[in-house]
Amino acid sequence: MITTRSTRFAKVAGVAAGAALVTTLAACSSDSSGSDDSSSSAKLTTVTFWDPYPQYDDSSDWAKYVQACAPTGTTLKRTTAPTADLLNNLTTAVKEGNAPDVILLDNPAVPEAASSGLLAPASDVGIDTAGFDANLAGPGTVDDVTYGVPVGANTLGLYYNKDILDKAGVDPSTLTTWDGLNAALEKVTKAGSKGITFAGISGEEGVFQFLPWFWGAGADLKEPGSAQATEAGQLLSDWIGKGYAPKSATTDNQSASWDLFLTGKYAFAENGSWFAKAASEQKFHAVMTPIPGKAEGAAPVPTGGEFALAPLQKKDSAAHYANAKQVIDCLVGKDNQVKTADALGYFAANKDLRQTQIASDKIWAPWASAIESAQGRTSDLGAQYTVTSAALSTALQTSLNAAGDADQVKQAFQQATQDAQG
Amino acid sequence: MVRPVGIQTPAPAPSLGPALEGQRAELGDPPARRPRRTIRPSTWAGLAFVAPLVIYLAVFYAYPLYENVSMSLHRYTRATFVTGQAPYVGLDIYREIVASPLFWPIVRQTATFVIVSLVFQYAIGLGLAVFFRRGFRLSGLLRGLFLVPWLLPIIVSATTWQWMMDADSGILNRFLGVFGIDPVWWLNAEHSLWAVTIANIWLGIPFNLVILYSGLQNIPTDLYEAASLDGAGAWKQFWSITFPLLKPVSAITLLLGFVYTLKVVDIIWIMTTGTGTSQTLATWAYGMAFGKGTSAVIKYSQASAVGSILLLVALVMGFVYLFVQRRQED
Repeated sequence: MITTRSTRFAKVAGVAAGAALVTTLAACSSDSSGSDDSSSSAKLTTVTFWDPYPQYDDSSDWAKYVQACAPTGTTLKRTTAPTADLLNNLTTAVKEGNAPDVILLDNPAVPEAASSGLLAPASDVGIDTAGFDANLAGPGTVDDVTYGVPVGANTLGLYYNKDILDKAGVDPSTLTTWDGLNAALEKVTKAGSKGITFAGISGEEGVFQFLPWFWGAGADLKEPGSAQATEAGQLLSDWIGKGYAPKSATTDNQSASWDLFLTGKYAFAENGSWFAKAASEQKFHAVMTPIPGKAEGAAPVPTGGEFALAPLQKKDSAAHYANAKQVIDCLVGKDNQVKTADALGYFAANKDLRQTQIASDKIWAPWASAIESAQGRTSDLGAQYTVTSAALSTALQTSLNAAGDADQVKQAFQQATQDAQG
Repeated sequence: MVRPVGIQTPAPAPSLGPALEGQRAELGDPPARRPRRTIRPSTWAGLAFVAPLVIYLAVFYAYPLYENVSMSLHRYTRATFVTGQAPYVGLDIYREIVASPLFWPIVRQTATFVIVSLVFQYAIGLGLAVFFRRGFRLSGLLRGLFLVPWLLPIIVSATTWQWMMDADSGILNRFLGVFGIDPVWWLNAEHSLWAVTIANIWLGIPFNLVILYSGLQNIPTDLYEAASLDGAGAWKQFWSITFPLLKPVSAITLLLGFVYTLKVVDIIWIMTTGTGTSQTLATWAYGMAFGKGTSAVIKYSQASAVGSILLLVALVMGFVYLFVQRRQED
């Protein structure tokens, strides 16, 4: 009795399950044929746009600003992902043939993206690449082919808490050499304050923050294990060892190290121009000064910021590129370049436009020379930069952990020479 | 439902697949035992029943597994990943991985992380389970509180641990200071393995507590009554009744715990990004697969190779479990 009932139930259920399966498969196939139709038609009504600014949601000013750049007759669909993920997402999208029309990609990632065949040359797309400062536009050119243009630029500076410096009797005009900075750090820590915050986190972000010291010592990215490079590592290592910098610098990213500075207990912070506005709104008096080199004078700082690029399209490339050109022209054309840069807290990448931007707000004034002397991270090495950056990151981590131990720092940078080759 | 210790691991992470498939192989036996007629209607019904599962397994288990192994046998770079024309290199990548100066230290760290985590999670979980078995007043509430680590998003708990372990102003060092112990630099290269292990033990206790507690419910109370009439104390009762009768539950708890712990990425990544001694095979694979942390260069094939090694280890543990289970049944 029970068995017959259960078999009958099994039959019914089996048929039902089978039917469900067939419908699912049918749904799948109808779905895919539907998308085939839309992509094979040459008229594109949707423009896809990727950026690495997840902090701006759909209701943000930035989102609305980008929407307004949609070519007539199209709607712009913006997707955002963290900087560290965007290149990987692009890789998959190009592989699958559904790359976005426009992507804003962090500048050190451009050479790798270009040499991996993810990007369309600017000349194919029709992007106007003229009029940008050479040092800021540099990362967009790989093996003599230009792929895109900077949407703006940022860089690093040394913020100091003037209240603390005054109390400790430090004259900011002495902050033009490493010795001057070290002497100031000693004074402020003796006076009961804390020293300096920076982001030493593993990966590109930590290397970005390390480069001003690296270049400021006279080191070259082609030789990441040089004596000068070791000196830069030793400088930061000593800060940890002497208690000038928090030990959490080994894991702090730039936001975390900025938060520490905002507590008002730290005298110095190495951080980006994108915090200039926030710095001007603190209870304490925060001032920016160029990062000192080892010898007298400002250290070269790395350029930050994204490039506007058109990824490689496998289908309907002409229609995609036409849309991409319009969106990119809208973002970085002469009329909008400053607006775009302002929306992101960046500097315009064209010198003349930047001067009007800097003139309009006095908080930008101290940054003007820093941005002009800034260097592209990938200018020397191209796509090979990624490998060197990884090697430097490892060496920096070891140096910070060594907390001043000169032998360990030396070994770490010797290892970097090897790592950079492999 | 059982989804405790950080398993939001992306791509190359091994899954519970092997263990579950092992069990399924057993469950799959009965229909095959009675092939009286060639194809009966009920056989068709049976096949229809099995079809969704088989398709599911094929699409979500077998195919990714195949892709993972295939990726580790071809030399993929970002460019060849896009074109799909990576050259076949046989086992070269496995050889390179094993020959890498990083490999054996990372294996040792992984072993330490997994074994120390498991021992403490299990011991503390069992202790708490036995403690809560008595069902005193508010025991339900307290037991609920012990589940908090399980319920909190890992990003929250890992960040909190990172703060607590801050070398300069963390509460943990301040607490140690009360006893005159020098502050520890928890998250530096040397100590980070212990830091993440401590955090992971804390995370895994609720899982052990819940499973072991439910296992305790199945031990008849009259055994304890009889034992106490015979004059067995609490300690004797534990070793002679609770522990032996809990063996099957303990075995599955430890197996699941092993697999989960082996592939933990999130808590380690959030606390240290896998720097120093806190690098395990799973974080190493994750860093290489996505070009993150100090592995800025994306290494698809190497990551797949490490993923396959992890999978193999989990598979071996699955067989060990089946072997232990069979011996217990005999």
